[in-house]
Amino acid sequence: MMQEVLRLQNLQKSFGSVCALKNASLTLKEGEVVALLGDNGAGKSTLIKAISGFFPIDRGDIYVRGEKVSIRSTREAMDLGIETIHQDTSLAPDLSIARNLFLGREPVNLKWLGVFAPLDLAKLRDAASALLKRVGISKKLDADALISTLSGGERQSIAISRAMQFAARVIILDEPTNNLGVEETHGVLRFVKEMREAGHSVLLITHNIHHVFEVADRIVVMRRGEIVAEQTVADTDLLTVESLITGADLSSLMKRAL
Amino acid sequence: MVQTVMTIAAEDEMPVGKRRSSLIRSPQFSSLVILIVLLAVFAIADRNFLSPLNISNMMAFLPELGIIALGMTLLLTAGEFDLSVGAVFGLAPVVVMLLVQNGGWAIGIALLAGLVLCIAIGAINGLIVTKIGISSFLVTLSILLVVRGAALYITQGFPLKSWDQPGFFVTLLAGSFNIGAFRFYTSLWWFIGLSLLAVYVLRYAKLGNWISAIGSNRSAAVARGVPADAVKIWLFILTSVLAGLAGMISAFRISAASPVAGTGYELEVIAMVVVGGTALTGGRGTILGTIVGALMLRAIRNGIVLVGVPGLAYNIFVGVIILAMLILHALLQKNAARS
Ligand SMILES: Nc1ncnc2c1ncn2[C@@H]1O[C@H](COP(=O)(O)OP(=O)(O)OP(=O)(O)O)[C@@H](O)[C@H]1O
Ligand SMILES: [Mg+2]
Repeated sequence: MMQEVLRLQNLQKSFGSVCALKNASLTLKEGEVVALLGDNGAGKSTLIKAISGFFPIDRGDIYVRGEKVSIRSTREAMDLGIETIHQDTSLAPDLSIARNLFLGREPVNLKWLGVFAPLDLAKLRDAASALLKRVGISKKLDADALISTLSGGERQSIAISRAMQFAARVIILDEPTNNLGVEETHGVLRFVKEMREAGHSVLLITHNIHHVFEVADRIVVMRRGEIVAEQTVADTDLLTVESLITGADLSSLMKRAL
Repeated sequence: MVQTVMTIAAEDEMPVGKRRSSLIRSPQFSSLVILIVLLAVFAIADRNFLSPLNISNMMAFLPELGIIALGMTLLLTAGEFDLSVGAVFGLAPVVVMLLVQNGGWAIGIALLAGLVLCIAIGAINGLIVTKIGISSFLVTLSILLVVRGAALYITQGFPLKSWDQPGFFVTLLAGSFNIGAFRFYTSLWWFIGLSLLAVYVLRYAKLGNWISAIGSNRSAAVARGVPADAVKIWLFILTSVLAGLAGMISAFRISAASPVAGTGYELEVIAMVVVGGTALTGGRGTILGTIVGALMLRAIRNGIVLVGVPGLAYNIFVGVIILAMLILHALLQKNAARS
C-alpha cells in the first residue's frame, strides 16, 4: 500500500460573501498523479493556494505524512516539501533566469549575515546552467537572460525546472500547459511522469482532459467549491469525466460518484 | 541572445564581453554621459563652475539629498515610494532641538529620541501600505501633511537655533575638513559609506535579490517564501531614518532647525532616483545611477545660477532638464527592447 503524503479534510475558504471552497477533502499518496478538474471558478486554484500557504483557510485540517500541520506562509509550505507552480506564472520579469530559479533559496556565502549575506554568484550561475541543461532548454536560453525577454512557454519551462530543482514531496501544477506549444506541452507531461517515477506526488490542475488520461492515476472533480466526484482513471472514460465537470445529469452522476 | 534592458541585478552575472556592451546600453551609463556633458557645458559657460569653492559648495549640499535618495532607490526598486521624506527631514531636527532647548535633554539622548521618531514614522508608513493595502502615494502624502503640520505646530512656525557648540555629534554629522583648496564636510563620508552599503545590498546580497523580485512581481516573490511585507516595512523605516539623518546633518551644518526645512525635497529626491535610471514601477533599481542622478540635479541647480538664469525662471529649467533626461531614458530602453 502506498503511503499517504497529503490529506486535506473539510477545507473551507470564503472571500467575503463568495464561498470559494466548501468542505473540500482530498488525499494524495506517494508516487501518485491526481488530476484536479472543474470549470472556471470551481475553486481549484483556491484549493491549491490554501495548500501552498498563500492565504489561511477558514476551517479544516491539513495532514502531511499523517501529521497535522498548519500552513501559514508560502515558506512553511515549501519547508514541508510542497512546491507549487501557479497559474499566473510566478517569476519576476526583471530578474535573470538564474536569480529566479533560486529566488527565496539563494546560495550565499557568509551565511551568518542573514539577509545581508552575499550571493554565491558563481554557484548560482553554474547550478542554473546545469538545471537548464537538464530540462533540455539550455541551448536556447542563457542563465543570465532576464525573464522579461522570454516567451510565455519559456517562462513556464523555467517555473517547472524550478520545482524540479527542489524536488519536493508534493508538486502542484496549476494549468501548466496553458500557452505552451506542442513540444513544451510534451515536456511538461514527461516531467509529471518523471516525478511520479521518482516517488513524488503530483497534483495537476488542467482543462485538457486528454492530458489527464495520459498522465493521471486518479481524477478529482470540483464544482462550486465542492469536490463532487473522485474516480481512478482506469475506471472511467472521457465522456463521463466531461459530464462530471459540467454537472449535466447531476442526480445520476451523484449516485455514481458516491 | 541579446541582453536587452540592463539591470544592476543582472550585471555581475554576465560574461565580460557581453557585460561591456550592455553596460553602454544601461540607464546608469547614459545618465553618466549626460552628467559629463552637463558638467562640461557649465564649465565652459562659467569658469567658476569648477573652482574649488564651487565644488566644495556642491559637495556640501550633495549628501543631504543624496542620502535620502539611497533609501528611496531601494524603496522604489521594491515598488513603493515615500513622499514624507522632506517633512521628516524638517521634523527630526526640530524635535531634537526642542528636547534639548526646552526639555533640557542631553544632546545624545535627544538624537536617540529623534531616531526613534523616524523609525516610528517609517513603520507607520510601511504598516499601513502593506497591511491595509493602501497605495504608498496616498499613505505617505497624508503622513507628509501630518509630519509637516507637527513640525509647524510644535515650533509655532519659528525656526530654532540649532546646536552649535562643537562636540562629538557635530563633528560626526557636520564636521568639516580641508583637502588642498577644497573644503569638505563629514557628511560626504556618510554619503560615500552609505552608498557603498547600498550598492552591496542591492547588487550582491540576498536582500537585494528579494527587493528587486518584490518590485518586479510581488506575488512571485511571496510564492517563493520571500517576506515581502517585512522587507517593505524595513525599507520604509530605512528611508525615514535616512531622511531624519539628512535633516540633522543639515541643521548642524547651518546651525538652525527650521520647521519648513526640506519642503519639496521628496520630489527632488524621486527625480534624482528616476533620472539615474531606476524604474518608477519597481523591479529595476540602480544605486550608481542614483549617485549620478544626485550629482546631476546638484550640478543643474548650481550651474544654472552661475550661468545666470534669472532666479524666478530657474525651476523651469530644472523641470525641462529632468524631463529631457527621462525622455532620453525611455527612448534608449525602447531601442534596446527592439534590438
Ligand atoms: N482573492 C479572491 N477574492 C475574491 N474572490 C476570489 C478570490 N480568489 C478566487 N475568488 C473566487 O473564488 C472562486 C474560485 O476561484 P478559483 O480561482 O479557485 O477558480 P478556478 O477553479 O481556479 O478557475 P480557473 O479554471 O478559471 O482557473 C471564483 O468564484 C473566484 O471569483
Ligand atoms: Mg485557476
